[in-house]
Amino acid sequence: MIAQVYVLYKREVLKLVRSRYMWVMLVAQPVMWLVFFGNSLAGMPRDFLAQYFGVGNYLSYMLPGMVSILMMTMGMFSSMSLVFDKRLGYLKRVLVTPTPKSAVFLAKALGATTRGFAAVPVLLALGALLGAEYKVHWLALAAWVFSLFAGGMGFAALFTALTANASDVHAPGVVNNFVSMPLMFTSTALFPQQFFPQWLRAVSEVNPLTYLTEVGRDALVYGAAPNPIHVLAVALFGLSASVLAALVVERGLTAD
Amino acid sequence: MDVIVVENLRKVYGDVVALDGVSFTVGSGEVFGLLGPNGAGKTTTIKILTGLTRPTSGRALVAGFDVVEEPAEVKRRIGWISSEVIVDDELTAWENLEVQARLMGVRQWRERAAELLKYFGLLEAAGRPVGKFSTGMRKRLEVAMALLHGPEVLFMDEPTVGLDVGARVGLWEAVRQINRDFGVTVLLTTHYMEEAESLCGRLAIINKGRLVAVGSPEELKSKYGVDVIELEVSGPVDLAALSAFGEVSAADGRVVVKTRGAEEKLAEVVKAVPGVRSVRVKKASLDTVFINLTGASIEGERVDLRQLYARVRWARR
Repeated sequence: MIAQVYVLYKREVLKLVRSRYMWVMLVAQPVMWLVFFGNSLAGMPRDFLAQYFGVGNYLSYMLPGMVSILMMTMGMFSSMSLVFDKRLGYLKRVLVTPTPKSAVFLAKALGATTRGFAAVPVLLALGALLGAEYKVHWLALAAWVFSLFAGGMGFAALFTALTANASDVHAPGVVNNFVSMPLMFTSTALFPQQFFPQWLRAVSEVNPLTYLTEVGRDALVYGAAPNPIHVLAVALFGLSASVLAALVVERGLTAD
Repeated sequence: MDVIVVENLRKVYGDVVALDGVSFTVGSGEVFGLLGPNGAGKTTTIKILTGLTRPTSGRALVAGFDVVEEPAEVKRRIGWISSEVIVDDELTAWENLEVQARLMGVRQWRERAAELLKYFGLLEAAGRPVGKFSTGMRKRLEVAMALLHGPEVLFMDEPTVGLDVGARVGLWEAVRQINRDFGVTVLLTTHYMEEAESLCGRLAIINKGRLVAVGSPEELKSKYGVDVIELEVSGPVDLAALSAFGEVSAADGRVVVKTRGAEEKLAEVVKAVPGVRSVRVKKASLDTVFINLTGASIEGERVDLRQLYARVRWARR
């Protein structure tokens, strides 16, 4: 199992590294978000920002949220890449070997998470360049790296489980619409909870993206010690989603 | 000992019956061919035998293990070559082999992989991305991948589709050698009668999910083959007079007689038909066996096509 996950993961990484578009995407997407969205609230009064967002500029506030969203989006690529492996028949080639189906899923999820991690430094460096102010707490930073891993695996698991028996290349996009978008807008990735109506606040309380983002904010923007409950919430999400997806994939992953 | 045992295999997809009670056995060291028209159930049979899909009912044993009960044991002992060439184009030949080796749990795969690459003439190209390979090279890589773990049984689903003549003959030679030198049992499906005849010791003809005949090419030819006498005639023909020789059909000044031992009957047939302009004899071959058993009728299709074409022309006016 370990050898099989390892070599399938290696395949994912090799394909990533060799894709020219992947590198373009890696840089281009954060640039769009940071430059256009990050500056959309640049004119907000400073004391308002300080009072409600706890930061000197909006860019600093949304950057950890941006990283969370990026990690979640990678989950879609994981499920997309699985559907493409079906279309090209490659999954058949893998499944005529004694490889467990869950090994296929684990390698895809690890590949997606790796892809996300490759983009994080680009995002942070760009943010700094555009004026984000970092106040780093090192222990919280370690907790954030762990949480990003757990969250990335969790989102990849969620997407893969939902498209395990799909062979239509459009399926991951549809799932993305119904999962990523709501998760993004009901989390604190872009705006603080204080502005939410009561019901939205309730949704955001059970949204893993909220916790992932708050861990990042403590580590990077507020310079505060990590909140163990937030880290635990993300870890729990990552673990339970991965286990669930492994079970779903073992039962329901079709070869073509 | 039988390496493949298939008993009353059925597979239903929704309301489509892909396999309708197929049974056959393949002995150790055989090259066994599955022949049949498109959609006959050949690929479904292979998918069940390789553990890619479960049968709806029936039983299948490969290398002594049940494909439903112990798929992992079966998969350890088989190699699979697809009809479409499936390799990862973005990886090099070497990397493709590494993936295969580690998925199969092959130790010391480097030596074996190097040997196989050399055997298939791919050693020099081993470090290049497979996407740049020709179809023939990709196919050879696929065969090398299937042999990496030393399988007992090799499943080949239409192995020579899309290959040029040279590559096809080369692959046939490779299959023969693999079978002869390593004692690997081969089950292949094909559309090409020539391929079936030159490679397979035994054949099964499958049609609409059912097995219609099993035997060596010679047995099948003598049992199900018919000779065809084709006559081009200038005048009207008394078909009743010809029916003593076998099944007769006539269209557009052409008379077709399906019979056995055509050489002996030829003189009498020609005598019985006035105004013969030309005569052609097609001896029994796997082609005629195939057409006979699967009900595909080349003559019938030609007539239909003519009518269709006439109608299309008329419609254009």
